[in-house]
Amino acid sequence: MRRVAITEVAQISGPDSKDNFYDQAYRVTREVLDKAGLSRDEVGTIVSASTDVFHGGISCANAYYWESTGSFMKAGTRQDGESMFALHYAFMKILTGKYDTVLVVGLCKGSENPDNDAITQLIADPFYQRPVGLNETTAAAMQMHQYMEAYGATAEQCATVVEKNLGNALRNPYAHRRGCYSTEEVLASGSMCHPLTDLMCAPKSEGFIAMLLAAEDKAREITPQPVWIKGYGCALDTYFLGDRDLLAGQLPNAARRAYKMAGITDPAKEIDLVELCEPYAFQELLWCEQLGLCGRGEGGKLIASGKTRIDGDLPVNPSGGVLATNPYVSRGLQRVVEATLQIRGHAGEHQVRQQVNTAVCHGSTGFAGQCHAVAVIGR
Amino acid sequence: MARPVGIIGVGQTQHGRREEMSYPDLVREAVLRALENCNLTPDDVDAVVTGTMPSMMEGIAMTQFYFADAVQAVGKPILKTETCGSVGVSIAHTAYYWVASGMADVILAVGHEKMFEGDSQATMVTVLEPYYQRSFLSGPPTAFSLQSQMWSNRFNIPEDKIREAATHISMLHHNSAFDNPYAHVKVRLSRDDVMNAPVIAYPIRLYDVCPNSDGACAVIFASEDKINHLGRKAAWVKGIGYRGEEYFIGDSDKVVWRAAIEAAKEAYDMAGISNPRKELNVAEVYNPFTYQEMIFYECFGFCDFGESPDLVLKGVFDRGGELPVSPSGGVLCTNPIGATGLIRVGEAALQILEQAGDRQIGGVKLALAHAMGGVVQLCGIMILGAHK
Repeated sequence: MRRVAITEVAQISGPDSKDNFYDQAYRVTREVLDKAGLSRDEVGTIVSASTDVFHGGISCANAYYWESTGSFMKAGTRQDGESMFALHYAFMKILTGKYDTVLVVGLCKGSENPDNDAITQLIADPFYQRPVGLNETTAAAMQMHQYMEAYGATAEQCATVVEKNLGNALRNPYAHRRGCYSTEEVLASGSMCHPLTDLMCAPKSEGFIAMLLAAEDKAREITPQPVWIKGYGCALDTYFLGDRDLLAGQLPNAARRAYKMAGITDPAKEIDLVELCEPYAFQELLWCEQLGLCGRGEGGKLIASGKTRIDGDLPVNPSGGVLATNPYVSRGLQRVVEATLQIRGHAGEHQVRQQVNTAVCHGSTGFAGQCHAVAVIGR
Repeated sequence: MARPVGIIGVGQTQHGRREEMSYPDLVREAVLRALENCNLTPDDVDAVVTGTMPSMMEGIAMTQFYFADAVQAVGKPILKTETCGSVGVSIAHTAYYWVASGMADVILAVGHEKMFEGDSQATMVTVLEPYYQRSFLSGPPTAFSLQSQMWSNRFNIPEDKIREAATHISMLHHNSAFDNPYAHVKVRLSRDDVMNAPVIAYPIRLYDVCPNSDGACAVIFASEDKINHLGRKAAWVKGIGYRGEEYFIGDSDKVVWRAAIEAAKEAYDMAGISNPRKELNVAEVYNPFTYQEMIFYECFGFCDFGESPDLVLKGVFDRGGELPVSPSGGVLCTNPIGATGLIRVGEAALQILEQAGDRQIGGVKLALAHAMGGVVQLCGIMILGAHK
């Protein structure tokens, strides 16, 4: 199998911007090409990620931004819903040998969209789930209830995730929301959907993410610091929320596939850093368990131990994660960009203390994580 | 490096107005038929790729979640490819790459649309941005009417001749649909019916235009090892091509249409085809509009520019002609958009597998499937062959 590397990355994110979509899409694409020293003609092809319902009222988003992402007269294509899918597809395009370089772009201009949950309710089927008000937040609240009940995790432990991640975001210039919050402030921040408080829920952000993947030989020409894609796994759960065990979803399955491909047998020991998708604070704890970083039901203990802090042994979301910045569709790809920066030592003020050799990136979409995608990247 | 990939199973729904069943059940009908067609069970499938048109079409977003069970994807890896009207061929491309890359041996590709649950023209107007194009380019018929007129003007083709040729194509496909058990529109049309049908957007008349359909299509792609292990005949993927051009319709030439020309060229080069009209035995061209079908013939190198109406009238593209086009009745008779491109791939595969029933063309060794999307903007091609 060919080795495939992430060679260069770029991102634009935050709450909103005076720039229009085309400018932002163009700038982030241009930045990656300039860093790689490639002209548009020299790039093999483009895989983008976007979702029409998160695209400011314009359908077939890929048709709209075709030229501004460098796709003119190329075999560009698009993945919907989860931007980690675009990474996966681009990876496969290089594996076949047809392309040596593939540009991956994730695009979501949150400031031009309605509230995320006005959109995520459209994931709910119109007959049973939508009329009872199911959306990503109400589904997560039910999952949080179950999580606390099953394992005795406390609201304080969940609030600690917010305290940690928004604190980390203070050092990340690309973060949308940041601040020094105590767990008391998090718990007192107003009830979003019990037991979720306002600060436990991710904001709605802009995020334009670009990266250039390349086959080994090409990657070494482009950069002295290629970051290799070592493993990828994905798994989808059944649809109706009541049919699912929200505490035993498909993340272990997705992680198992990625770890097997990467040759990882003991994730808690072999992984140096995790960037995961936690639009709701408690999910960081649950996902850590399901990624095999601690035992089942021990997510609360894990965060209480301080191990996942930016200066801990296994930093989780040193960028501030999705709680800090939530460009809904491109949030998965943003995890990959952040982990790449950490592996290279280019994360600036939020660079972790220890050298990062192997990192796990995670994307999640659907109610209570109906779909999970996991990538293992490293030196 | 790229492993050989073949199609071993095809399933489609009875396309049409399917009010008696829900959208997931419609999808399930196609998926189960594809599995049955190659005698596999859902457990034999490694991963699934799905796709559709914009969510506004049926009012449900990110349908991979809703259809997790219908496409038998629970516990499996999934990709969701969406490229507007060209989505069906893009789904097939995704399945091809998944197997060719070595990351999977059996991929189920599914495309679907249930257009009677929404308003397709209203949805497709939202493909246009709200400032410039949406206010005058009110949906596909207008865009394709502009393209048709540009074409006749460029090559000085008499309007009467084009009308005759469009009528020939319309009657050909509407007749073929009777031989396709899955086709939607089945009406016997006289020459007068077609010639004098109400104008939709001049010069396009009612029977020059595809319908709205409910329908789904599922196609199973497998690796060479798996195909050998199963001991099955396969329709091998010989070539793929895809190109896209400017979003603003006035920015590019839609007659000598680069996206169509170069997508076909990429696929021909990969398949080693130099004379498509001679070498291809059948073509499933994405033909929602009779006029546009002729432009595709020219861009795909089936004939010279400006020449297609003459050849159509000579019967070159008839079912007994030199290069039969759309013996399934084509998009003109069946158009569940998210499935439409994949139906082209499925129909091309059925021709090679000699499973096309009454619409079978004799001795098909090489077949072309095509889809188009965006603002007259994106073109995808897949070429299938009987031999690896």
